[in-house]
Amino acid sequence: MVDVGGHMPERRIKDHPVLEFERGNEFYFDYEGKKVKAYEGETIASALYADGLRKFTESKLLERPRGFFCAIGKCSSCIMSVDGVPHTRTCVVLAKEGMKVENQGARPKFPFIEVEKGKRLERDIGIAIVGGGPAGLTAAIIAAEHGADVHLFDEGDKLGGQLVKQTHQFFGSHTEDAGIRGIHIADELIERAQELGVEFHNRSTVLGFYPERTIAVERDNRFEIYNTEGIIYATGAIENFLAFENNDLPGVYGAGGVQTLMNEQGIVPGEKVLMIGSGNVGVIVSYQLIQAGVDVVEVVEALPEIGGYQVHASKLRRAGVPINTRHTIKKALGEEKVEGAIVQKIDENWQPIEGTEREVECDVICIAVGLHPDNEFLRQAGCEMEYIRELGGYVPKRTEDMRTTTERVYVAGDSAGIEEATVAALEGKIAGAALTEEVYGSSKELEKKKEEAKKSLEQMRMGPYGEAPRQGVKMCTVDEEVC
Amino acid sequence: MTVVICRCEDLTEDDIVEAIEKGYDELETLKRHLRMGMGPCQGKSCIPLAERILCRETGKSPDDIREPTSRPPNKPVPFALLASEEVDDHE
Amino acid sequence: MSDYKSTGVISLDDIEVPSDERLKAGPVVIIECVENIPCDPCVAACPKEAISMDIITDVPDIDFEECIGCALCVTECPGLAIFVVDCSYSDEKCKITVPYEYLPVPDKGEMVYALDKRGDRVQKAEVVNVRQSGKTYGITMEVDKGNVWSVRGLEVME
Repeated sequence: MVDVGGHMPERRIKDHPVLEFERGNEFYFDYEGKKVKAYEGETIASALYADGLRKFTESKLLERPRGFFCAIGKCSSCIMSVDGVPHTRTCVVLAKEGMKVENQGARPKFPFIEVEKGKRLERDIGIAIVGGGPAGLTAAIIAAEHGADVHLFDEGDKLGGQLVKQTHQFFGSHTEDAGIRGIHIADELIERAQELGVEFHNRSTVLGFYPERTIAVERDNRFEIYNTEGIIYATGAIENFLAFENNDLPGVYGAGGVQTLMNEQGIVPGEKVLMIGSGNVGVIVSYQLIQAGVDVVEVVEALPEIGGYQVHASKLRRAGVPINTRHTIKKALGEEKVEGAIVQKIDENWQPIEGTEREVECDVICIAVGLHPDNEFLRQAGCEMEYIRELGGYVPKRTEDMRTTTERVYVAGDSAGIEEATVAALEGKIAGAALTEEVYGSSKELEKKKEEAKKSLEQMRMGPYGEAPRQGVKMCTVDEEVC
Repeated sequence: MTVVICRCEDLTEDDIVEAIEKGYDELETLKRHLRMGMGPCQGKSCIPLAERILCRETGKSPDDIREPTSRPPNKPVPFALLASEEVDDHE
Repeated sequence: MSDYKSTGVISLDDIEVPSDERLKAGPVVIIECVENIPCDPCVAACPKEAISMDIITDVPDIDFEECIGCALCVTECPGLAIFVVDCSYSDEKCKITVPYEYLPVPDKGEMVYALDKRGDRVQKAEVVNVRQSGKTYGITMEVDKGNVWSVRGLEVME
């Protein structure tokens, strides 16, 4: 169903080899006086993207076009005015019938909002878990299994974190969840947590940490304060960005953003994608793009070797995708959106080799150059941090129990160091068990589960790909007494 | 040539390098001088990039660089919500 | 060892292959997984316990004499790195089973392009079997015997 009058191809995926997109009711909202089609469950940004919009806002000084970028509410490149409220992150707000969406321009006017009475909520709760991905969910499950009062906070409408974008079968042990696709692992974990009575606070934006252990939350336009007995931060990671000319042009997206758009919302990002980075994220997302019917024209990698698993790279090569190591992106081409790219060879000292510039035809440049831990709340909580290259950035010092240097503040998953989903789930289990012990008292069973998880974690970090995280974790793990 | 480092505050690589040359050679001082990382995203993508530029320009190692202070709110939130006073009864 | 770390293309030097006698005796598995990644569903998939590992980061250890070439592991490998070749099929032709997760899925009897490890078309081939497990297919093609070590993928004709 191509829009009448436009020449945009249909961006919504109909048939997919792995996923089924059950779209809700069709409706329309208003964008700059134009009617835009959306389906129930689509975010404002996704519906606009499917409609062909590429420029979502303008930067505030240089007035450069800005588009969709991270797609998970972290980067604020997609902020628009929604029903009169500027700075609305359109990638995390669901489209609603009759909604009025406008470009907010480089320097938006802020409306006067009347303070409504009875808007604030304050509650004393047991354990708060921030982030509903694999780490947060497993932490919630083990704590709830042992009678804790568990509250799980997540910004999204649906929990599961980045698992819900993972359409490939998982690696790891068949006794855990290997061979199962991430999307199904998420469903199972969510169901289990629900059965156990974990209170889900979805659509809840956690705004900050306050002493002793209070968190502030915004949910459905209400300010909420939760005084907790203990907190586990499982806030995940943020994608690394890359410095190159025109890197802010709409069409330059993070790999996670592409996955959200494509695998969660069922919308293809474009027709021809240039992938920057050959780590596991880069090669997996490339494969998923091909599965969605998108052409991956090339993968470029600055290192002399492919970063991701050989099996993923081989899969891509069999699909005819070239992987060029010792290459980098020099420049994105285009005025209002990406219309191509210049790639270039680099030498052993990472310096571009002149005369090797080459133009690549593409409408999307996908950045997959790693992730760094989302550690803001940990810093606010006063946790001692350390830069660990092997774990992707600044991470909190922690015990083997995942306890930070701040009392009753725990960490799990990518916010403790960039690894992968199975590791995150195991760390969640450990943190959940340990905090439950600290708050509610220990039990033999809890202790046993915690030690089993530690053993599995150790096994996951064996092998050549486990070398870096193994070293990294060693460097930031401290003794019980220090914490 | 526009290489954007801080998307929210529109800072380019040249802006950062220039500030470092002036002596703002820590993430905290860069933040205060340029508003780097103080926009709606609160430094989620610019800080690691700026950190790399700092290392390159000053010869520091990432171990020597401290991340700037993080303060709530981490996400854009209308002041009206923060100013709300009455407390709901727990439903 | 080949330069697969920079190309993503595995060569015969990198992997364990069955003896000529074993190849002639019937269908047998070829596993192109060389990196000690933490993964073991192939071990659980094998009904003959022909694939083993001591620890999860081991490379799969294959007992070619025990393998019956059933191809159950082909669709269970998350890395899509397992194939089955059958050189006992005829004098000129062999059968190759590859994992497949794209659309459209070819039908039995359909002609497809057989692809090599770089995605280049090697020959036209007939699909002789299609087996589905979850969302992954094991597609068996009939290819020239000379292409037994090159064909590892397929492309549906327009």
